[in-house]
This record gives sequence, structure tokens and C-alpha cells, in this order.
Amino acid sequence: MKKLTKSLLFSSMLVTYSAHAEIALNGFASIVGGVTTSSDDQLYGYDDTLSFDQGSLFALQASSDLGEGLSVTAQILARGENDWDPDFEWAYVAYEANDNLRILAGRQRIPFYMYSDFLDVSYAYPWISPPAGVYSTAINTFDGIGAIYSTNFDEFDVVLHGIYGNKDGDIKVDTEVTGQADATFDGLAGASITVTRDWLTLRAAYFQADSTIDLQRLQPLVDGWTAAGFSDVADNITVFEDKSEFVEFGFQASFDTVQIIGEYTELTTADTTIGDEDSYYIMVSKQFDNILASITYAVDEDSAASITGGVPTGISPDLDGLIALTNGATDSQEVDVTSITLGLRWDFHDSAALKFEYVDYSDDLNSNNDAGLLRAALVTVF
Amino acid sequence: MSVIKKLNIKLFAVLIGFLTSNIALAEVAVIVNAANNTAIADGDFSRIFLGKVKKFSNGEKVAIVNLKYKQATRNEFEEKVLKKSASQVKAYWSKLMFSGKGKPPKELGSDKDVIAFVASNPGAIGYIDSASADGSIKVVKTF
Repeated sequence: MKKLTKSLLFSSMLVTYSAHAEIALNGFASIVGGVTTSSDDQLYGYDDTLSFDQGSLFALQASSDLGEGLSVTAQILARGENDWDPDFEWAYVAYEANDNLRILAGRQRIPFYMYSDFLDVSYAYPWISPPAGVYSTAINTFDGIGAIYSTNFDEFDVVLHGIYGNKDGDIKVDTEVTGQADATFDGLAGASITVTRDWLTLRAAYFQADSTIDLQRLQPLVDGWTAAGFSDVADNITVFEDKSEFVEFGFQASFDTVQIIGEYTELTTADTTIGDEDSYYIMVSKQFDNILASITYAVDEDSAASITGGVPTGISPDLDGLIALTNGATDSQEVDVTSITLGLRWDFHDSAALKFEYVDYSDDLNSNNDAGLLRAALVTVF
Repeated sequence: MSVIKKLNIKLFAVLIGFLTSNIALAEVAVIVNAANNTAIADGDFSRIFLGKVKKFSNGEKVAIVNLKYKQATRNEFEEKVLKKSASQVKAYWSKLMFSGKGKPPKELGSDKDVIAFVASNPGAIGYIDSASADGSIKVVKTF
């Protein structure tokens, strides 16, 4: 009897609670299957065995309006490639200061790219996932404060999105030099501006951060340069609180059934072994009833950093050896990749779409890395 | 020769008849609260219904109301006014919803429900089949 009363009391509490703060549950999912077209090809984590974990994801979002302009939102996302371990992708309190200004505090997206805000919501864009060369920053979320200011001038809709915060903790960065490395990004600050008028959208973004990447495998080089008396070169090998800068330009032009989208990005981390990364893509799509056909041309070019330029050569074999090793490490980061992606999106259902993609990938520096990739995806929002 | 011409003209007439009857059958009326007397520029309708314009020129906060998915009037409205397919509209609101930038508008099941909502909310704006319009609301534009 006591138990019953208790559970009744509890359920009535639940009812009262939900009456006060309604929680809206939404979600999205992508189930992606992919296989490379030839036995020795590897691309984006795929090989010639059909796999369904890479690129597959499932997300749930809970949000609640607290009234007076305040709301809370949490989005939990599990990725197949991370063994479906769920992670908080977003977790923030939002405050609607007025009709134009919205402030977010907590974990949120860094508005690096045109598609950053809904990076994983495949239903919201033509591709299975956005072009890999451009969409390649080590981090996509941060913890801190964001402010979104939206306004109109005549027929121009303008959105300014500024952020300040950091990304610490369990971050692994894939580097060409040393493979996976631990990293932190502090003092992450910047803004994006998006201007839309009728059929045209233009976007620009700038962000900077103090990057620290633990390149353990390069420690012998650091020690070597320190011992040789070149502490400035030793400093330039490490990535310790070095300033990274990110620049983006993007556009979208929509005409009736044809859409053209392009984005250009530049990422630099000065005075380190990390070279400059330049990438862009251009996509043209055409809608045929409920089928969208698209073609994307993408280029990814990373240059090698030069940090031994000030060191005299021919003085000692040891020094020359050190220069050669260091140049080897920096040169290994050069990337010159072109890809062409053919895609089809079929909206067969009101909340789901099927997508098919073929990527022809060519590495201009090493043709052994050339690959073809076939992917199919079922994407949904609910 | 003249037979072909005649046939062509006949076909043409049928086509015109078909087109006009189509238009006459389904006109979408955008409606606001009877007390709302702000003027809405032609280019603003899609921006209002996409949540980009948040206030009417009289300062009243915009409250959009949508018809439920798969209603003929909704398809008509999205095609004519928003110039987007149903899935493009859904994708648009998904973007906002999953990035904390907005919520999709309230959806109601029938013209009657939309009229009732608009009649009782000063900032409301919705659309219905123009044949359903009555005196409790104001039609600001038909498409």
C-alpha cells in the first residue's frame, strides 16, 4: 500500500513537472554503408570490405523552453566509428535577449563552415557528409559562449555569429607527422557573417586559437636542436600555445531547380611543423521531382612548413642530418588531393531520404593513394 | 495541314482550360488576425514563413502557423510562396532545430483550426484554401 502511494505520488509529480516544463524530443540518424571499388584502395576509413559503422550516426536532442526567453538543449550523438559511444555534441542554455540577439552558453558548434551548425544532420544537405577536404578541422565543438545576432536591411538578411571559449580534454588530432596526438585549443575566438538576399547567400568566417598538440614522436628533434644551440628551431618544432588561424569564404546560389554551392578554407598554425592547409569545393546540383543529382569538385592542398631556413648548411654532418630529418618531417605533410563526387539524393519519404555517392579520389603526390569509393546512406530526422 | 493546325489549336485550348481551371480550383490565401492592419511586401511572405522576419511593421510578434504535412494546400503554398519542395522545407527547419537557431512552426490539422488560431492571436499568420476564408480573419494575399 505504501509502495502504491509512493508510486502514485511520484507519477503525479512527473505529471506536474511535465506540465511546467515540456521537453521536446527530436533526433536524426544516418546509416551509411561504404566500400572502395578496388582491393587495395582505402579512403575515409573505408576499404574493400563493405562496412556500415564508418559515417553512421544516431542523435537525440532534448530541449525545454523555460519561459522568459530561456531554454535548455542537449544533443547526444553516437557514431558507429566510435563504437557507438554516445557523446554530448551540444549542451547549452540559450537566452533570447531580444528578437535579434540569442546567447548560448555551454557546449556548442564552432561556426567554422556553412554547414557547421548541422554538420551531422545529413537530411539537411545534398551529400552523405560534407566534402572531407574542407570539413577537416580537428575540432567542431567548443565549450564557452556564443552570440547570434540576426537582423534585416531591406531585403538582406544578416546573421552574425561570434564565439569565445576553448576545447580541452580528450581530443585526438590526426597529424601527418606523428599520427594521433593529444591536443588542446584555448582562447578560441572568432565570428562568422552570413548575408542572404533572395537567391544568393554569402558567408565569411575568421577564428583563432592557441593550439597545443603533443607531437611526442618529434621530441628527439626538439632535443637535437636544443643541444645544437638552435632553441628557436626547437621551439618551432613543437606546437605549444601557437596561434592557429582559420579563414572561410562560402556562397550558395539557388535558381529554381539548380543550386551552386562553394566554400574555400585556409588553416594556418604559424611557427610550427604544421604547414598551411588550403581547401575548396564547388558543387552543382539539380532537382528532378524528388531526386536531387549533384556533382562536387574538391581540392585539398597542404603545404610543407619551412622551419630550418635560417640554419646554415655544410657546417657539420650532425647539423645537416638534423636539417634533413626536420625537413623530412615537415615535407611529409604536403597534401595535394583532388576529388570528384557524384551524388544522388532520393526523397522517398516525408522524413527520410536515400543517398548514393561515388567518390573518385586522386592524390597528385602519390598515385598509390588514388581510390574510388561507393557509399549509400539512409538518412532521417524525427 | 489544316487538320494538324486545328488539332494544335484544340490541344492549346485544352491546355489553357486545364491551367485556368487548376488555378481557379486551388488558390492559397495568406491570412492574419482581423485586427492586424500592417502591409506586407510581396517579397516578405516567404521570409515571414521561414522565420526570418520576426515582427510585423506594427511591432506585433509574428506567430506562424502551418498546415500539417501532406495537405494539398501546404504543398501548394510551399511550392508557390516558399519556392521549395516539401523535403527542402523540412531540411530547412531541421537545420534550425538541431543548431539551436529556431523551432519549426506550429502545425494544425485543418483550415478551420488555422482560422481559429489566427482569429484569436493578434500576431498570427497562416494560410488556407481561399475558399475556406471567412469574416473572422483577414486575407492579405492570395497566391
